[in-house]
Amino acid sequence: MRKTLTALATIMTLTGTASAADLRMSWWGGDSRHVATQEALKVCGEKHGHTIKAEFTGWSGHQEKITTQLAGSTEADIMQINWPWLPLFSKNGDGFADLTQYADVIDLSQWSEELLATATMSDKLNGLPVSVTGRVFYLNQTPFEKVGIAVPTNWEELIASAPKLKEKLGANYYPFDAVKLNSILIVSLITTQMTGKDLIDPATNQVAWTPEELRKGLEFYQNLVETGTIRAWKDAVAVGNVELFDEPAWAEGRIGGSYEWDSTFSKYADPLKDGKLMPLKPFKVSGATTEGMYRKPSMMFSISKNSKEPKAAAQIINCLLNEPEGVKILGDSRGLPASAIALKTLSDEGKLSPSLLEANQIVMTSSGPTVSPYNEHPKVREIFEDAIEEYAYGQIDAEEAAGIIIDDINETLSNL
Amino acid sequence: MGGDSRFLGLAYVLPYILGLLAFTAVPFIASFYLSFTDYTLMSRPNWIGLDNYVDMFTRDRTFRRSLNVTLIYVFLTVPLKLVFALFIAYILNYRLKFIGFFRTAYYVPSILGGSIAIAVLWRYIFADTGLINIAITSMGFEAINWFGNPGTALFTITLLRLWQFGSAMVIFLAALQSVDKSLYEAASIDGAGKWQSFYHITLPLITPVIFFNLIMQMVQAFQEFNGPYVITNGGPLKSTYLLPLYIYEEAFKKFDMGYASALAWVLFAIIMVLTLLAFWSSRHWVYYAGDKRN
Repeated sequence: MRKTLTALATIMTLTGTASAADLRMSWWGGDSRHVATQEALKVCGEKHGHTIKAEFTGWSGHQEKITTQLAGSTEADIMQINWPWLPLFSKNGDGFADLTQYADVIDLSQWSEELLATATMSDKLNGLPVSVTGRVFYLNQTPFEKVGIAVPTNWEELIASAPKLKEKLGANYYPFDAVKLNSILIVSLITTQMTGKDLIDPATNQVAWTPEELRKGLEFYQNLVETGTIRAWKDAVAVGNVELFDEPAWAEGRIGGSYEWDSTFSKYADPLKDGKLMPLKPFKVSGATTEGMYRKPSMMFSISKNSKEPKAAAQIINCLLNEPEGVKILGDSRGLPASAIALKTLSDEGKLSPSLLEANQIVMTSSGPTVSPYNEHPKVREIFEDAIEEYAYGQIDAEEAAGIIIDDINETLSNL
Repeated sequence: MGGDSRFLGLAYVLPYILGLLAFTAVPFIASFYLSFTDYTLMSRPNWIGLDNYVDMFTRDRTFRRSLNVTLIYVFLTVPLKLVFALFIAYILNYRLKFIGFFRTAYYVPSILGGSIAIAVLWRYIFADTGLINIAITSMGFEAINWFGNPGTALFTITLLRLWQFGSAMVIFLAALQSVDKSLYEAASIDGAGKWQSFYHITLPLITPVIFFNLIMQMVQAFQEFNGPYVITNGGPLKSTYLLPLYIYEEAFKKFDMGYASALAWVLFAIIMVLTLLAFWSSRHWVYYAGDKRN
């Protein structure tokens, strides 16, 4: 026993390991992520001599839980944080531990400077990007094959396919879909492509688009509705408050495609009854100055500023994101890893799904301006969505909608 | 009472008192204070006086819309539910075959009704390809877009509440059974019909229970959350965006705890005023045993 303890102490000294710590880690996700993360925590904990209590939930309600914990200083030592939460929880960079303080434990060179910058608030590195995600087009080949046309590769072909689908398959067939959040993102995609600018100007933290530019984006969206390319808002909500991948219309191929996160490929591919889903670059409007890729860190691992064992927490994060023991077990349960060494480890092991790789390749190789985290601020989203809904129901015109969106978002951003 | 037992009663009620203090009294008082602050959970609350209330009544379009929808919902559901519950209770008061089964069957929805599972079921029933539309189209009519039209969306939420009439019905049933049968016999001898007996005997004698159910149903209707949250998420065009849903989103989606507290206090004030109004009016229409009024 004494010999064992001496040996253990020697190993720990040699490897520079912090003394054994009891840690907590919280995350959201689905079953596959829960199983992989628990297993990885066990292995990483054993490797570094720490025990980590797992606290995991589904997505729904997780932000509320984290917020309450942060407000009460009862948060876990290691947290999976959604990137848009950064300005909510750490406006001045003081909401989480500064990970540059643990650069001796975490190999920060595995992330590009550009990527680390997205997780930095007021010069403090508040988290490490676990993966990078972006919006891509997913098109279901089957309905297009049924009517004998090739899968559309641009807006003109997509719009032209709508009457063909309706004529041969039925009036309730649509080649694409964009409602609620996706209506915002399609309008943003079009306006970004036309202007080369993100919704929010990082220099002024105000809306970068003029009312005229946004009006054109809104009218493009309305044209998609009028040509039967996408469902009218009113018809899309007829199923109630349901996600697209849960809708029978999606599973049965009555909706040909959507604009979704690259990491959600299987979520949209699995429910299809006889469809085959393919990821595509978002289509470009004529005169586009950029591809308008909406790219961002999908999530980060952060350390609590109240953690009593921040160094031990940093060791566990490094194990999960950089060391082969953790990386191999986590696999692509959080999308394609942002850490270069993790990506190489998984590629060498052949553990990455080809569809996920293809979708992620689109995200990484497309051009687009840097996306501000304020795009996803709940107040900004609400203003944008409410105005598009009123426009879609014919209560206001595109000009009024553009004016409301810009004025109200600017006012909200000023107050933030 | 001996020394040992002096504190026994207190010991028995202590868990309740502690729960009341921790989960009701303290949040109740705290929310009142927070309603005068800009508290966002992640920062210290700063006193801003009446700003939240002024904003609410002068600038907040969503509040006005949400308040309108809430009032329509309450004034629609409460009377309809009371009438329906009384009607079913009246039928179940007859000595029918399998009456026990029927009473249980009609009560069950009120146990299940408030649950998320039933709200999800409701969503499927009224969806574009749901059970109701299948029935409508099989009769040769056009399917109705229940959730896509502001008017019909609110109607589906209202219907879910009406469907949960069981608890009010059971209370009405107990009241109907307590009415002295000799009064009906006397009325019958005097030549009164069923409607006359109901209107002149039953209804006055159960007014205390009608009053009780009115208050309970009104308070519950103002607090409705599950139905609109699960079925329509407040849409379309905020037509089912009841105040509790708005309070929840302000507090837990936007973290404007100060503003959400102010909204909650306005909701509380509305419920309080309407309850006091009901109590005041009860002097004119509620009759208790031993009442000396004509």
